[in-house]
Amino acid sequence: MSNIHSSGLKARSSLLARLLTLPIRHFQQAVGSLGNLWRTPFTTVMTIFVLGISLALPATLHLFVKNAEQVSEQWDSASQITLFLKLSTSEKSAQNLIKRISLYNDVAEVRYISAKQALKEFKILSGFGQSLEYLDKNPLPATLLVTPTQRASQAQAANALLAKLSKEREVEQGKLDLEWLTRLEAMARLIEDIVLGVALLLCLSVVLIVGNTIRLAILNERDAIAIMKLVGATDSFIQRPFLYSGIWYGIFGGILSCIAVTLLAWYLGYAISDLSELYQSNFQLQGLSGSEALMLIGFAVVLALVGSYISVSQHIKAIEPNAD
Amino acid sequence: MINFNKVNKTYPGGFLALKQVSFSLESGEMAFLTGHSGAGKSTLLKLISLMEKPSSGSIQVNHTELSDIQYKQVPYVRRGIGMIFQSHNLLKDRTVFDNVALPLIIEGVSHSEIKKRVATALDKVHLSAKLKCYPHMLSGGEQQRVGIARAIVNKPPILLADEPTGNLDPKLSLDIISLFEEFNAAGVTVLIATHDLGLIARMKYRTLTLKEGTMINDGIVDGLQAQGRYDEQYS
Repeated sequence: MSNIHSSGLKARSSLLARLLTLPIRHFQQAVGSLGNLWRTPFTTVMTIFVLGISLALPATLHLFVKNAEQVSEQWDSASQITLFLKLSTSEKSAQNLIKRISLYNDVAEVRYISAKQALKEFKILSGFGQSLEYLDKNPLPATLLVTPTQRASQAQAANALLAKLSKEREVEQGKLDLEWLTRLEAMARLIEDIVLGVALLLCLSVVLIVGNTIRLAILNERDAIAIMKLVGATDSFIQRPFLYSGIWYGIFGGILSCIAVTLLAWYLGYAISDLSELYQSNFQLQGLSGSEALMLIGFAVVLALVGSYISVSQHIKAIEPNAD
Repeated sequence: MINFNKVNKTYPGGFLALKQVSFSLESGEMAFLTGHSGAGKSTLLKLISLMEKPSSGSIQVNHTELSDIQYKQVPYVRRGIGMIFQSHNLLKDRTVFDNVALPLIIEGVSHSEIKKRVATALDKVHLSAKLKCYPHMLSGGEQQRVGIARAIVNKPPILLADEPTGNLDPKLSLDIISLFEEFNAAGVTVLIATHDLGLIARMKYRTLTLKEGTMINDGIVDGLQAQGRYDEQYS
C-alpha cells in the first residue's frame, strides 16, 4: 500500500517523460478520432460528401478562371500597339526607332513592317492589286507592331505605353483597341469577384458544417467529457480528439472535392476539345495540378479545423461535471 | 489538508446550502460526513472538488486556496483529489482498464507505467480478472470498485467519496469501507459522505454532521449517539 500512496504525496511523471509521451498521445488521439468517425459511418460519409461538394464548387470556379486566363493569354495580341510612322521616315531612322523602343521596360517585342511590305500585303488582302499599280508612289507608311510585356498588357498600362510611344518624333499616329481590352478586363474582374464571393460563402458553409457536426459529437459525449473533467482533464486534452475529427473531415472532404473536380474536368474536356477544333484552336481544358490538389486539401483542412475549433472552444468549456 | 473557514454557499434562487461551515481535516485523517438529504453533504464535496464555488469564506485543499482559483488551474487541483460517487461515473464504452487508466493518460504517463499502475490499482480492489470487461458486464459492487481504482491510480493525497455504499448490501459496504481504511493507513486523507449511520457507528471515525447546511457536530459518534441522531433526523 505504501508504495501506492507514498506519504500521501502525489507522484508525478517527470516533465521530460511527459514531453516524450506527448507526440505518442497526439498520434493515439488522432487515430482514436478516426476510429470514432468509423463508428458513425452514416454521419461521417454524409458530412464528408457535403464538405466535398461545397469545396468542389469554388474549386471548379477556380478552374474556370484558370482556363479563361489561358484563353485570354492567346488574345494578348489584342493589346498590341500599332505605330504608323511618318512618310518621311527613312529605313535607317525606322531601324534606330526600333532599337530605342526595344529598350523600353514595358515592351516585349517590336515587329517592323516596311512601307513596301505593307503595300504588298494590302494588294493581296484588299483585292485592288491591279489598281494599286497605277499609283505614283506608295501611300502607306511603315508600321511598327509593338507587343507590350505581360505586365503592361492591362488597359491602363497599355494606354500609358501608347502615349509614350506616340511622342517619338518618327511616329505619325499610334493605335490601341482599348475599348475591347477594357471590356475584357472588366468582365474578367467581374468573374473573379463572383468566384471570390461564391468561394467565400461556400468556405463559410464548410466552417459551419464542420462546426455543427463537432457540436453534435460534443453533445453526444457530454457525460464522458464531464467524467474526464472530474478526473483532471484539461480542456485542451478533451478538445484534441474533436479537433483531429475536424482535420479528418477536412482531409477526406478535400480529397473528395479533388476527385469531383477532376472527374468534371475530364468529362467537360472532350466537349471543349470538340468545340475548340471547330475554331481551329488547340485549346485544352486544364484540370487541377498536383500542387493545386494539395492546396485544396490543405485549405479544406484549415477550414475544417477552424470550424471544429470554434465549436470546441464554445461547447467544451460549458460542460461541467456533476456529482449526481 | 482540507480547511473550511466560515464557508457559505448560496445557490442561484437564494437556497442557502451551507452556513458558516468551518472544519479542518489533517493529512492522513479519515472522517465521515453525514446528515439527512439536503443537509449539504454533496455541496460540501462539490466545493472541495471545485464543481461549485463558495459564495463566501475560504477553502484550502492541498495548500491551495480554492475560493479565488483560476479556471485553468482547476484540472490540476482535481488531479490531487480522488473522487468516488454512488453512480460510479464510469465511461460506458471503455473497458475497466481504460477507465482506470484515464487519470494517468490525462497526466501523460508512459504506456508501460500505466499498465503497471492500473494492474496494481485493480489488484488492490480485487478486480484484476475483469481488466477487459465493460462496465455493463460488472455488478454494482464491482463498478464501485472500478471507480475506487480509478480514484487511487494516480496516487492522490485526498480521497472523497459521496455515498459510496449507497447501492450496496451491508457486506459489500464493509468491503468498500475497509478499502478506504487501507488507503488511509497508507497516508491518504479520506472523507466519506454517507447517511448510513449504522456504518458510521461501527467504524468509530471522526464524523462531521450537517443539518440544513450548518455543522452541528464534529467528533467520534458511537452507536447510541448514532441511533439518537438517526431518530432526530428521520423522525
